[in-house]
Amino acid sequence: MRLIGFRYLRRQRILTLASILTLTSMLFSITAFSFLGFYNGFNAYLGEGEDIVAIYDSGSRTPFSGLVPMYLAERMSLVDGVSASSPEVIAPGVIKDESIFIRGIVPEQFSKLNTLTIVEGDMLDLADVNFAIVGKRLCERLSLKFGDKVPVLGVFAEQYLEIQIKGIFESHSTMDDEVLVPLYVGQWLRAVDYSCVTVIRVKIDKGEASPNKLYEEIAKEASEPSTSEGEGENLTEGITPVAKMSFRIEDVGVEEAQKFMKSHLDRYGVTKETLLILSIVIFIFASASATSASTTLIHQHKHEIEILRSVGASDKTIKADLLVKVFVWSLVSSALGIILATATLMAFERVGYLQVLSHRILFQLDPLAVSLSFTLISLLVGISITRSAVKR
Amino acid sequence: MSLLTFKMLFQKSGTPSSILAIALLVAILASMNSIINHINSQAEALSGLVNIGGTYVMLSKESSSITSSEVDAQLTRLLRSVTDVNYVLPQKIFKANLTTNNGGETVLVRGVEDIDLFFNLRGGCLDGAKAKGRGEACVGEILARIVFIDLGDQINLTINGEAHKVRVVGTFTTMTQSDSELIVPIEAAYNLTSSEGKASMIEFTLKADAEKDAIQNLVEFLPKDVRIIKIQQPKKFIQDMNAQTLSFLNLWSSAVYVVVVAASHVVATRLVTEASYDLAMLRALGSKRKLLFTSVLTYMITVALLGSILGLAMGIVGAQMASTAVRWVWPSIDTNPFLEIGQALRILLLTLASSIFGCTYPALRSAFKTYMEQPL
Repeated sequence: MRLIGFRYLRRQRILTLASILTLTSMLFSITAFSFLGFYNGFNAYLGEGEDIVAIYDSGSRTPFSGLVPMYLAERMSLVDGVSASSPEVIAPGVIKDESIFIRGIVPEQFSKLNTLTIVEGDMLDLADVNFAIVGKRLCERLSLKFGDKVPVLGVFAEQYLEIQIKGIFESHSTMDDEVLVPLYVGQWLRAVDYSCVTVIRVKIDKGEASPNKLYEEIAKEASEPSTSEGEGENLTEGITPVAKMSFRIEDVGVEEAQKFMKSHLDRYGVTKETLLILSIVIFIFASASATSASTTLIHQHKHEIEILRSVGASDKTIKADLLVKVFVWSLVSSALGIILATATLMAFERVGYLQVLSHRILFQLDPLAVSLSFTLISLLVGISITRSAVKR
Repeated sequence: MSLLTFKMLFQKSGTPSSILAIALLVAILASMNSIINHINSQAEALSGLVNIGGTYVMLSKESSSITSSEVDAQLTRLLRSVTDVNYVLPQKIFKANLTTNNGGETVLVRGVEDIDLFFNLRGGCLDGAKAKGRGEACVGEILARIVFIDLGDQINLTINGEAHKVRVVGTFTTMTQSDSELIVPIEAAYNLTSSEGKASMIEFTLKADAEKDAIQNLVEFLPKDVRIIKIQQPKKFIQDMNAQTLSFLNLWSSAVYVVVVAASHVVATRLVTEASYDLAMLRALGSKRKLLFTSVLTYMITVALLGSILGLAMGIVGAQMASTAVRWVWPSIDTNPFLEIGQALRILLLTLASSIFGCTYPALRSAFKTYMEQPL
């Protein structure tokens, strides 16, 4: 007996099931997309390519709090295969009563690693004392305009200073939520002297250099420091006094920038897999309602199902027919849930609610999360319908 | 009658699974809140480790920047008379065009009342002598390197179109913005800018044993056209970071509450379907619509209440168990999730509200059905 063309399920009742499936899919998608958006954004914070290497303080608990000798940036610039060596200081600060991150950079080196589009004003120069360029998103958030003078209050340091906005940039990355200042301004706010930076980012030619090669160079420097003062390219154009300082090689780490950021999250057990598992757990917790909705649907149609049985439809036929009919709805519900989740997250993002550590979470439609949403919803409906339909 | 009706509804086979459905949703909220609470408390504990200085600056209320601020320098005397105040340092900051043999640059000039105290407070070191009078200035290390100024050099400062010759008598490093500035005595700054008695700001510190509400008392004591800013803000920074996490959590929670609304709708629909015979019988026996409506509503409130209590317990216990498991795998990660009473109450009330909202339509439908319409 074929039941496919026989419409015995009432549309309004199916819609109730479909709406709860949609909401369950939406909850899963919101959780997975936002968590993965945070994870991907954090990992890409210092650069995504395999050719960007981070030299960092291996003892630091966060990527923002370590310190490495600044002069290593100058030494690295001499290594074959290194096309840019960007020393950076990341410091928290408060502008217009909002907490933000301020990054001290050497603009010439920094722009070799990150493409910044200046949408208004001019690019920063290392000699631009008391000037800054600000990310477009941050400008919108704090209502900052080109040419504004803004006081900056310190967090790590007992510092207050005034900066003038020289330009507004766009990078389509998390950097759009930051203020970029000359390296020494970052050092003031981080309360470190001119010989230390938070991280050194190095751009390498993979054919000629590697993180291991850079590590070997640093190890050599740690065991036999070069004697001549200021050896290497003068990255700060003599603006800041860069003193040579001794260090232990165990305190310095060299790794691809993305792996370096990932290792910080790994340290706390935060991986892409654990975030997906967490999202699945939330789905499972929310799925009790969907199971209840499936059971209710069958219960509401028990008379129709009994009639089908009485006219000769086997349990297997009824089950298969119910599965086919509800499966189509589950696919539609999953898709709708994903669309709703995307719209919700986009709205959250637009109003600035999707922020972690003052950086906006740029959520992405992760293919794995999308396929998981379809699979989980279909599985859930399949199991609950099968279990309910066989009960007489 | 109503108690009997409620009892009859509550004994339906779907009740335990309905309670569980709500409980699991509440458990998601409780566990997520408890984990975020732990993260936020850790962040706040970290902010406590930062050595916070007790320096404040007084600026004019309407000014948007330090250079545009104008504060009556007489307030210095007033501040010095306050017992809780330690150091008071009025400063005049203005822009000037600096011309040397190597070119020109717009720089900040800072007039300071007590240059020795200024360097002491910043832990700075001065090479040469401190500036005295309007013809002398000390130059910060960064500025000196940018414009190639050396000790003893003569520089030209143009302020408001008027040129002044100044000799560099000292270079200094403070690791502050002053390293990119020129420092002159405050009288010279007043003189150069023709703004006698108008400081840009007054910097002051509180004594270590100052009363907790010293700043509050001071604000009441001062004129209304000035404002006081604490210059180091680690607590505010952490509070803002935590607020960002919480606002995301609240928005995410609203998605869970929407699911609670839908789940309650399903639970009520299921109840009405399961109890259709009983409800039809009650209508036939003359029960009022109100009784049927309130019975379904009371059932839903009870289910939501039990589900919330169970969910809160499950969420907290689950988070604690998960954190213990994490500690076994990664001994360095010490997590202690906790839920505040206020949060637990908020979750409970919002779940109840969502459930009432979700069950209203099925409850009304069942109440308005005549016994003829009720499927038996």
